[in-house]
Amino acid sequence: MSAMVLLASSVVTWLLRVGFIVIVPARRLPEGFRRVLDHAAVAALAALLATALAHDSGAAWLLTPSPVHVAVVAAGLVAWRTGRMGLTVVVAVTVLYAAQLLP
Amino acid sequence: MTAAPVAVSAPRIELAAVQDIVPVAASVVPFALVIGSAMRAIGVPGGVGVLGGGAMYSGSAHLAAVALLGAGAELVMILAAVAVINARLLVYGAALEPRFRDQPRWFRWLGPHFLVDQTYALATARDDLDAPDRFRRYWLVAGLVLGAFWVVAMAAGMGLGAAIHASSPLNFTATAVIIAMLAPRLRARPHVIVACVSATVATASSSLPNGLGLGVGLAAGIVAGGLIEARRR
Repeated sequence: MSAMVLLASSVVTWLLRVGFIVIVPARRLPEGFRRVLDHAAVAALAALLATALAHDSGAAWLLTPSPVHVAVVAAGLVAWRTGRMGLTVVVAVTVLYAAQLLP
Repeated sequence: MTAAPVAVSAPRIELAAVQDIVPVAASVVPFALVIGSAMRAIGVPGGVGVLGGGAMYSGSAHLAAVALLGAGAELVMILAAVAVINARLLVYGAALEPRFRDQPRWFRWLGPHFLVDQTYALATARDDLDAPDRFRRYWLVAGLVLGAFWVVAMAAGMGLGAAIHASSPLNFTATAVIIAMLAPRLRARPHVIVACVSATVATASSSLPNGLGLGVGLAAGIVAGGLIEARRR
């Protein structure tokens, strides 16, 4: 059963991947739709970030100060100023550990 | 990865792909460990788990499928959840379709297998992938390296089993990578508005089951982008 589930899930996922690339190429879609896609990456990353942060405590995490908030702000500043992924990750994890050690 | 990747000469595009993807790939290791551990907990055979991880190549939907399988859900329900969670891949594919348009047939059908949040974000951040062969080499190297990290970590997770904890602080590396990919894009006001709308709606709907909040937030952000484009015209 697990093999069938993973195989079928893989097929569904692959169909979604090739859907607007090969099956119905995006160039056949309305131009307005394609122009909006320019915003999709930002929208996706912002939604991913929000759901990753809210995962444990739901929307309430926004109102409850925690070491994660400090790490997010630090990482955001480093990423915005430098654009360097490795440095951002190191700073984020270091700040998170440090903030968790504080009383 | 840098905010404004510098164009590199043709022979070095593979190296650029490795440099871009390795930090990203390292960041998904904790998540893959957790999924491997979850598969072991419900008795998925090792070979099936590892091959399935490579075949599905999708974290959140994979975890949801494993969780639903463990809960005894019907196949149709599991596939519906996978489709909903991964619906954003349609949008990513549409955005990247011009990159695949002039590619060989094999690549147009098989290349999108490596389409995930991370590879999409990396590919759209670079401005030196206009030549089809450059994009193809970049995409394949990035996808294969990410896949190698993903599958090996998932196998390790299956081996370690219950020793892996979903709440490990290392999971924050994945969040940090998302921040690193998002923040440099927030220099134009329309993108800031889209990000705020998307994040706010995703947070408000984060309690929805099976990661639906992510899709709702993404949809809200795209709608906001559409409204901004409509006002510009």
